[in-house]
Amino acid sequence: MRKLATTVGATAMIVGSLLGTPTAGAAQISTPAPAPIPAPTPQRPQVQLLDCYGSTGWMGCGPGWTWRDGWRGFSCYPC
Amino acid sequence: MNTIVRASIAGWAATAAVAALSIGAGTAAAAPDYATLPVNPNTVTDSTAYIPVAPTLNPDGQQGVTQLFNHRDGTRGITTKIEVLSSPQGATDKVNAWRDGVGTVVTNPQSTPVQVGADGTWVTGLSQNGSQSVGVLLFTRGNAAVDVQFNGPVADPVPADLATQYGQDQVAALDRQLGS
Repeated sequence: MRKLATTVGATAMIVGSLLGTPTAGAAQISTPAPAPIPAPTPQRPQVQLLDCYGSTGWMGCGPGWTWRDGWRGFSCYPC
Repeated sequence: MNTIVRASIAGWAATAAVAALSIGAGTAAAAPDYATLPVNPNTVTDSTAYIPVAPTLNPDGQQGVTQLFNHRDGTRGITTKIEVLSSPQGATDKVNAWRDGVGTVVTNPQSTPVQVGADGTWVTGLSQNGSQSVGVLLFTRGNAAVDVQFNGPVADPVPADLATQYGQDQVAALDRQLGS
Protein backbone atom coordinates (compact mmCIF):
# COMPACT_ATOMS: atom_id res chain seq x y z
CA MET A 1 0.00 0.00 0.00
CA ARG A 2 2.86 2.33 0.85
CA LYS A 3 4.55 1.43 -2.38
CA LEU A 4 1.43 2.27 -4.33
CA ALA A 5 1.15 5.62 -2.58
CA THR A 6 4.77 6.44 -3.45
CA THR A 7 4.23 5.56 -7.11
CA VAL A 8 1.08 7.64 -7.34
CA GLY A 9 2.81 10.55 -5.68
CA ALA A 10 5.77 10.45 -8.00
CA THR A 11 3.51 10.18 -11.02
CA ALA A 12 1.51 13.15 -9.84
CA MET A 13 4.64 15.23 -9.46
CA ILE A 14 5.78 14.40 -12.97
CA VAL A 15 2.40 15.03 -14.54
CA GLY A 16 2.11 18.27 -12.62
CA SER A 17 5.38 19.56 -13.90
CA LEU A 18 4.40 18.66 -17.45
CA LEU A 19 1.05 20.40 -17.15
CA GLY A 20 2.71 23.56 -15.88
CA THR A 21 4.95 24.02 -18.86
CA PRO A 22 2.32 24.74 -21.53
CA THR A 23 0.57 27.00 -19.12
CA ALA A 24 3.69 29.17 -18.78
CA GLY A 25 4.13 29.19 -22.54
CA ALA A 26 0.56 30.25 -23.06
CA ALA A 27 1.12 33.17 -20.76
CA GLN A 28 3.99 34.39 -22.89
CA ILE A 29 2.00 34.13 -26.11
CA SER A 30 -0.86 36.11 -24.71
CA THR A 31 1.36 39.17 -24.16
CA PRO A 32 3.55 39.48 -27.30
CA ALA A 33 6.82 41.28 -26.97
CA PRO A 34 7.13 44.57 -28.86
CA ALA A 35 8.72 44.37 -32.32
CA PRO A 36 12.45 44.93 -32.18
CA ILE A 37 13.57 48.38 -33.28
CA PRO A 38 15.91 48.08 -36.25
CA ALA A 39 19.38 49.26 -35.54
CA PRO A 40 20.22 52.52 -37.37
CA THR A 41 22.28 52.02 -40.52
CA PRO A 42 25.67 53.63 -40.08
CA GLN A 43 26.26 56.52 -42.49
CA ARG A 44 28.81 55.94 -45.20
CA PRO A 45 32.05 57.64 -44.33
CA GLN A 46 32.69 60.83 -46.25
CA VAL A 47 36.04 60.48 -48.00
CA GLN A 48 37.84 63.47 -49.45
CA LEU A 49 40.93 62.64 -51.48
CA LEU A 50 43.81 64.90 -50.67
CA ASP A 51 46.41 63.27 -52.85
CA CYS A 52 47.16 59.81 -54.17
CA TYR A 53 48.68 58.77 -50.84
CA GLY A 54 46.07 60.13 -48.48
CA SER A 55 48.26 62.86 -47.10
CA THR A 56 47.62 66.56 -47.35
CA GLY A 57 49.28 66.74 -50.74
CA TRP A 58 52.88 67.25 -51.66
CA MET A 59 54.13 70.37 -53.45
CA GLY A 60 50.64 71.83 -53.34
CA CYS A 61 49.05 69.21 -55.58
CA GLY A 62 45.29 69.18 -55.06
CA PRO A 63 42.90 66.31 -54.43
CA GLY A 64 43.35 63.50 -56.91
CA TRP A 65 46.75 64.72 -58.06
CA THR A 66 50.29 63.68 -57.31
CA TRP A 67 53.74 65.14 -57.77
CA ARG A 68 56.05 63.17 -60.05
CA ASP A 69 58.40 63.38 -63.02
CA GLY A 70 56.37 62.92 -66.21
CA TRP A 71 55.82 64.27 -69.70
CA ARG A 72 55.95 67.85 -68.42
CA GLY A 73 58.88 67.20 -66.07
CA PHE A 74 58.26 67.48 -62.33
CA SER A 75 54.67 68.56 -61.95
CA CYS A 76 51.26 67.64 -60.51
CA TYR A 77 49.69 64.75 -62.45
CA PRO A 78 46.34 63.00 -62.01
CA CYS A 79 46.47 59.89 -59.81
CA MET B 1 94.82 110.33 -117.20
CA ASN B 2 96.65 107.61 -115.45
CA THR B 3 95.24 108.85 -112.16
CA ILE B 4 91.72 108.84 -113.56
CA VAL B 5 92.03 105.25 -114.79
CA ARG B 6 93.45 104.16 -111.47
CA ALA B 7 90.57 105.85 -109.64
CA SER B 8 88.04 104.15 -111.92
CA ILE B 9 89.60 100.76 -111.29
CA ALA B 10 89.58 101.40 -107.57
CA GLY B 11 85.92 102.44 -107.73
CA TRP B 12 85.02 99.32 -109.71
CA ALA B 13 86.86 97.13 -107.23
CA ALA B 14 84.98 98.70 -104.33
CA THR B 15 81.65 98.19 -106.08
CA ALA B 16 82.53 94.60 -106.82
CA ALA B 17 83.47 94.02 -103.20
CA VAL B 18 80.15 95.44 -101.98
CA ALA B 19 78.29 93.32 -104.52
CA ALA B 20 80.13 90.21 -103.36
CA LEU B 21 79.25 90.94 -99.77
CA SER B 22 75.61 91.43 -100.71
CA ILE B 23 75.53 88.15 -102.62
CA GLY B 24 77.20 86.42 -99.70
CA ALA B 25 74.61 87.76 -97.30
CA GLY B 26 71.83 86.58 -99.59
CA THR B 27 73.26 83.11 -99.76
CA ALA B 28 73.49 82.89 -95.96
CA ALA B 29 69.83 83.86 -95.60
CA ALA B 30 68.78 81.24 -98.16
CA ALA B 31 70.46 78.38 -96.30
CA PRO B 32 68.82 78.06 -92.86
CA ASP B 33 70.44 76.00 -90.17
CA TYR B 34 68.15 72.99 -90.10
CA ALA B 35 69.86 71.71 -86.96
CA THR B 36 68.11 74.41 -84.95
CA LEU B 37 64.66 73.76 -86.43
CA PRO B 38 63.34 71.14 -83.98
CA VAL B 39 61.70 72.63 -80.90
CA ASN B 40 63.28 71.53 -77.63
CA PRO B 41 60.48 70.06 -75.46
CA ASN B 42 62.05 71.75 -72.43
CA THR B 43 60.83 75.09 -73.76
CA VAL B 44 57.30 73.74 -74.18
CA THR B 45 57.16 72.11 -70.76
CA ASP B 46 59.18 74.80 -68.98
CA SER B 47 61.33 72.05 -67.55
CA THR B 48 64.75 70.46 -67.85
CA ALA B 49 63.33 66.97 -68.27
CA TYR B 50 64.56 66.36 -71.82
CA ILE B 51 68.10 65.70 -72.96
CA PRO B 52 68.63 66.46 -76.67
CA VAL B 53 70.61 64.03 -78.80
CA ALA B 54 72.69 65.58 -81.58
CA PRO B 55 70.49 66.22 -84.63
CA THR B 56 70.88 64.27 -87.86
CA LEU B 57 70.83 66.47 -90.92
CA ASN B 58 69.10 65.55 -94.16
CA PRO B 59 67.42 62.28 -93.08
CA ASP B 60 66.60 59.82 -95.86
CA GLY B 61 68.59 62.01 -98.26
CA GLN B 62 65.99 64.75 -98.00
CA GLN B 63 66.76 68.29 -96.86
CA GLY B 64 65.79 68.61 -93.24
CA VAL B 65 66.62 67.27 -89.82
CA THR B 66 65.77 64.58 -87.27
CA GLN B 67 66.36 65.02 -83.56
CA LEU B 68 65.63 62.85 -80.53
CA PHE B 69 64.90 64.28 -77.09
CA ASN B 70 65.22 61.68 -74.32
CA HIS B 71 63.42 62.16 -71.02
CA ARG B 72 65.77 61.93 -68.03
CA ASP B 73 63.61 59.18 -66.50
CA GLY B 74 64.60 56.90 -69.38
CA THR B 75 61.04 55.79 -70.08
CA ARG B 76 59.93 58.31 -72.68
CA GLY B 77 61.22 60.29 -75.63
CA ILE B 78 60.22 62.65 -78.41
CA THR B 79 61.57 62.31 -81.97
CA THR B 80 61.06 65.24 -84.31
CA LYS B 81 61.58 64.82 -88.05
CA ILE B 82 61.32 67.79 -90.40
CA GLU B 83 61.75 67.43 -94.14
CA VAL B 84 61.86 70.50 -96.35
CA LEU B 85 60.39 69.80 -99.76
CA SER B 86 60.40 71.93 -102.91
CA SER B 87 56.73 72.89 -102.62
CA PRO B 88 53.78 72.77 -100.22
CA GLN B 89 52.27 70.02 -102.36
CA GLY B 90 55.45 68.02 -101.96
CA ALA B 91 55.14 68.42 -98.19
CA THR B 92 51.51 67.28 -98.28
CA ASP B 93 52.45 64.25 -100.37
CA LYS B 94 55.17 63.39 -97.86
CA VAL B 95 52.83 63.63 -94.87
CA ASN B 96 50.24 61.53 -96.69
CA ALA B 97 52.88 58.87 -97.28
CA TRP B 98 53.87 58.93 -93.60
CA ARG B 99 50.20 58.66 -92.59
CA ASP B 100 49.72 55.67 -94.88
CA GLY B 101 52.74 53.99 -93.32
CA VAL B 102 51.97 54.78 -89.69
CA GLY B 103 50.71 51.23 -89.21
CA THR B 104 54.30 50.04 -89.31
CA VAL B 105 54.99 52.11 -86.18
CA VAL B 106 51.68 51.97 -84.31
CA THR B 107 49.45 48.95 -83.83
CA ASN B 108 45.72 49.59 -83.90
CA PRO B 109 46.24 53.27 -84.70
CA GLN B 110 43.48 55.68 -83.71
CA SER B 111 43.61 58.83 -85.83
CA THR B 112 42.00 62.23 -85.28
CA PRO B 113 42.45 65.62 -86.94
CA VAL B 114 44.26 68.25 -84.88
CA GLN B 115 44.63 72.02 -85.22
CA VAL B 116 48.35 72.08 -85.96
CA GLY B 117 49.72 73.56 -89.21
CA ALA B 118 47.97 72.11 -92.26
CA ASP B 119 46.79 68.51 -92.59
CA GLY B 120 47.33 68.08 -88.84
CA THR B 121 46.73 64.50 -87.71
CA TRP B 122 47.13 62.91 -84.28
CA VAL B 123 47.62 59.13 -84.21
CA THR B 124 47.79 57.06 -81.02
CA GLY B 125 48.32 53.41 -80.20
CA LEU B 126 50.93 50.99 -78.99
CA SER B 127 54.31 50.08 -80.39
CA GLN B 128 54.58 46.98 -82.52
CA ASN B 129 55.70 44.82 -79.58
CA GLY B 130 53.13 46.38 -77.27
CA SER B 131 55.72 47.55 -74.76
CA GLN B 132 55.24 51.30 -75.27
CA SER B 133 52.57 53.87 -75.91
CA VAL B 134 53.07 55.78 -79.16
CA GLY B 135 51.64 59.08 -80.31
CA VAL B 136 52.43 60.45 -83.76
CA LEU B 137 51.75 64.05 -84.78
CA LEU B 138 51.83 64.74 -88.52
CA PHE B 139 51.42 68.10 -90.22
CA THR B 140 52.78 70.42 -92.88
CA ARG B 141 53.78 74.05 -92.76
CA GLY B 142 54.64 75.61 -96.11
CA ASN B 143 57.24 73.37 -97.73
CA ALA B 144 57.97 71.51 -94.49
CA ALA B 145 56.61 68.09 -93.62
CA VAL B 146 56.76 67.31 -89.90
CA ASP B 147 56.53 63.99 -88.04
CA VAL B 148 56.77 64.08 -84.24
CA GLN B 149 56.73 60.75 -82.41
CA PHE B 150 56.11 60.46 -78.67
CA ASN B 151 57.13 57.15 -77.07
CA GLY B 152 56.32 56.43 -73.45
CA PRO B 153 55.05 53.91 -70.91
CA VAL B 154 51.90 51.99 -71.84
CA ALA B 155 50.13 53.28 -68.72
CA ASP B 156 51.25 56.85 -69.26
CA PRO B 157 50.81 57.93 -72.90
CA VAL B 158 51.63 61.49 -73.84
CA PRO B 159 48.71 63.87 -73.19
CA ALA B 160 47.17 65.05 -76.46
CA ASP B 161 47.22 68.66 -75.30
CA LEU B 162 50.97 68.51 -74.78
CA ALA B 163 51.48 67.05 -78.26
CA THR B 164 49.28 69.78 -79.74
CA GLN B 165 51.15 72.48 -77.85
CA TYR B 166 54.46 71.07 -79.05
CA GLY B 167 53.21 71.02 -82.65
CA GLN B 168 52.01 74.62 -82.49
CA ASP B 169 55.36 75.74 -81.11
CA GLN B 170 57.04 73.83 -83.95
CA VAL B 171 54.88 75.67 -86.47
CA ALA B 172 55.97 78.99 -84.96
CA ALA B 173 59.62 77.92 -85.15
CA LEU B 174 59.24 76.98 -88.83
CA ASP B 175 57.64 80.35 -89.53
CA ARG B 176 60.51 82.14 -87.83
CA GLN B 177 63.33 80.21 -89.46
CA LEU B 178 61.97 79.20 -92.85
CA GLY B 179 59.48 82.01 -93.34
CA SER B 180 56.91 79.40 -94.30
